[in-house]
Amino acid sequence: MQAAGLPSFRSYRLHHYRQIGVAARLAIGAPILLLLVLTVALVSLSLGPVDIPTSHVAWIVLSAFGIDVPAFGRTEQLVIEQIRLPRIIVGASVGMALGVAGATLQGLFRNPMADPGIIGVSAGGAVGAVVAIATGMTGLFFLALPAFAFAGAIAASLLVYGIAAVGGHFSMATLLLAGVAVNAFLGAIVSAIIILLPDNEALREILFWLAGGLDSRAWEHVWIATPLILGSAAVLLLLARDLNLLMLGDDEARSMGVRVGLTRVVLLATAALATGAAVAVSGTIAFVGLVIPHILRLILGPDNRVLIPMSALGGALFVILADTVARTIIEPAEFRVGVLTAFVGAPFFLLLLIKNKRQVYSL
Amino acid sequence: MSIQQLRIIGVLVVLLFALALTACSSNEPPPAPVEPPAQTATTPSTTEVVEVPEEQVEIEPVAATEEPISAPDAAPAPEPEPAPAPDPEPEPEPVKRPLDSVRGIVDPTNSGWPREVEGLNGIVTVPAKPLRIITASVGHDEMTLALVPEERLVAVGSATKNATYSNVAALVQEKVEISRDPETIVAQSPDIVVTSPFFSVEGVEALQRAGILVVQTELKHDPEARINSILLMGYIFGEEERASEFADEVQARYDALVAVTSAKEPMPRVLALTQYSDTLWVAGSNSTEGGVITAAGGINAAEEAGIEGNQTTSLEGVIVMAPDIIIIPQPVEFGAEEFRQSLFEIEALAETPAIKNGNVHVVESKHFTTLSYWNIRGAEDLARILWPDDFPNPPADTFSLAE
Repeated sequence: MQAAGLPSFRSYRLHHYRQIGVAARLAIGAPILLLLVLTVALVSLSLGPVDIPTSHVAWIVLSAFGIDVPAFGRTEQLVIEQIRLPRIIVGASVGMALGVAGATLQGLFRNPMADPGIIGVSAGGAVGAVVAIATGMTGLFFLALPAFAFAGAIAASLLVYGIAAVGGHFSMATLLLAGVAVNAFLGAIVSAIIILLPDNEALREILFWLAGGLDSRAWEHVWIATPLILGSAAVLLLLARDLNLLMLGDDEARSMGVRVGLTRVVLLATAALATGAAVAVSGTIAFVGLVIPHILRLILGPDNRVLIPMSALGGALFVILADTVARTIIEPAEFRVGVLTAFVGAPFFLLLLIKNKRQVYSL
Repeated sequence: MSIQQLRIIGVLVVLLFALALTACSSNEPPPAPVEPPAQTATTPSTTEVVEVPEEQVEIEPVAATEEPISAPDAAPAPEPEPAPAPDPEPEPEPVKRPLDSVRGIVDPTNSGWPREVEGLNGIVTVPAKPLRIITASVGHDEMTLALVPEERLVAVGSATKNATYSNVAALVQEKVEISRDPETIVAQSPDIVVTSPFFSVEGVEALQRAGILVVQTELKHDPEARINSILLMGYIFGEEERASEFADEVQARYDALVAVTSAKEPMPRVLALTQYSDTLWVAGSNSTEGGVITAAGGINAAEEAGIEGNQTTSLEGVIVMAPDIIIIPQPVEFGAEEFRQSLFEIEALAETPAIKNGNVHVVESKHFTTLSYWNIRGAEDLARILWPDDFPNPPADTFSLAE
């Protein structure tokens, strides 16, 4: 069903992209993006406050695969293995999650301005994290903060979905409006906690968490977030064809054999799960879920079979790049990656919007 | 859209514009004439007209003319000081320390009332000895209690009552609590509010509009600035003699410390490191912790690495800074001890000198982070860690208070 006031995705000018088939677009685009991701990851691996020669980085990486290499320092190895590598993997996972969730939700809402925050996941994660910090739960056990953030993210998305499905009649328009209202409500809770919190340290923690960051990410964060994100991305990719059909309208999708209600729930839940896992380990990193699918849609067209995997790679690339800059630009101090993604993403996005005004309007 | 609709919209826009203009002009304060403060029973004041240059902040019209300096509903206050009589040449009070070099005192030779001080918010005329004081800053509260009898500090913020952050929490538990809302301050009818640079400009302006005398003073990190703050606040409160005595006490403790620490070689490289959630923080140049490290005879490793103020860093940053000693000025309630333990469990830090030698210490955070003379106590604590043979005994637990 078409939400009131939303641009119609029926008007997709698919013919622009039909000239190159889905398989061809994937076959050309995916290796290029994957190569870029790997290159940026390797460059990122060799940059940081500790000066490690690139050759040593290469030897450390090769030695991980059991290849005989010349000797390198133990500290160098530990910095690469225990500090930089998990951080890069978490960054890639977060970018991937936000990218695929953004692409999926933009398709589901038939609105290129939708992002993962629209179903309350980010705001819910923020409330969970803020509650954990304000109540001192973060000191109780190592992963308390991501656990609370994840629980908050999932609870918020369930609430938004529950409101949209009240009375057994699900509506995307209600989902959108419920998302707006729940986001505002959860934002108010965060503000209230910040205002009432007497502890300066807790306030500082909250503000920094809200700014989004990948500092001190360890292998534990990789293990809790990456499998969930990879699994979610795989499910969304499998449902990409159904999402394409849903974008044409419920009746069309149903006539093509799509179980509209079930598919929509699975898509929403999976996008929420991916975003929740990302928010849990990185805080709220702005703009990735909005800007990456949007840019790729302008380049590659709206077919989700291309868009979802490419958004995963594009998101990973963007976050790794932003985090590399964040941790090296004022080294040995650090910048917040969430601030940087918005700083870089917003102007770039606006530039693209202006340059491609006509094309964007048609989306 | 019809012509008629356009006309209606045009009229509405003009009306809105006119309303906005009216609102703007009504918000501007009237060009208040500088009037002499009223002479009251409680705080007889001068009747001289205070000449305020154009660039100076006009503060007093409402408070000075409509309200007595000491609020009528104040708790029984100590007998006011001898009236700052309208004597053109007030009898100077004995002052030990010369005030000439104290930044912020406009005329060091004037020991009578009114007196002028230059704060960050401009030159402010204090018409009479303030009996009801609010500072809205932990550091200022700590200094105020050292300078004036406790009852003259009429209200404090929640942080001053919190023993995690405040070194005078035990003394202020019964005091009225104020918040960031200027109204809570106005409600206490203070004679003066001395604020830190962190108090918002809007807050200062709101208090001034409500007729409250506000002086916004600097809060720097070096010991010389601490002495300056003590003497300036003593002058503002009309307690020059006590301020001089107290400055001597603080200076003596500082000098005794530095006499030993400044001669020590080699100076260890010290890193003030904290962790809140997963984020690591270090204190570089122009930080309170940095000043404490220098006073205690250490080299601030973060400052050496080019870090300014309090910044976030990574484990790699810690490795690069390679401190000989890590101090953790973080409240124990916020996991300081757990953080200390965790540093020893990180393999990548194993070769960092401080970790290798087991030189990681949790220190009393409020001695290191407050913006007052209590930093001297922090430096004394740290000096005992850096030079245990030279400082075998614990430092004096506290500083003297005003009586």
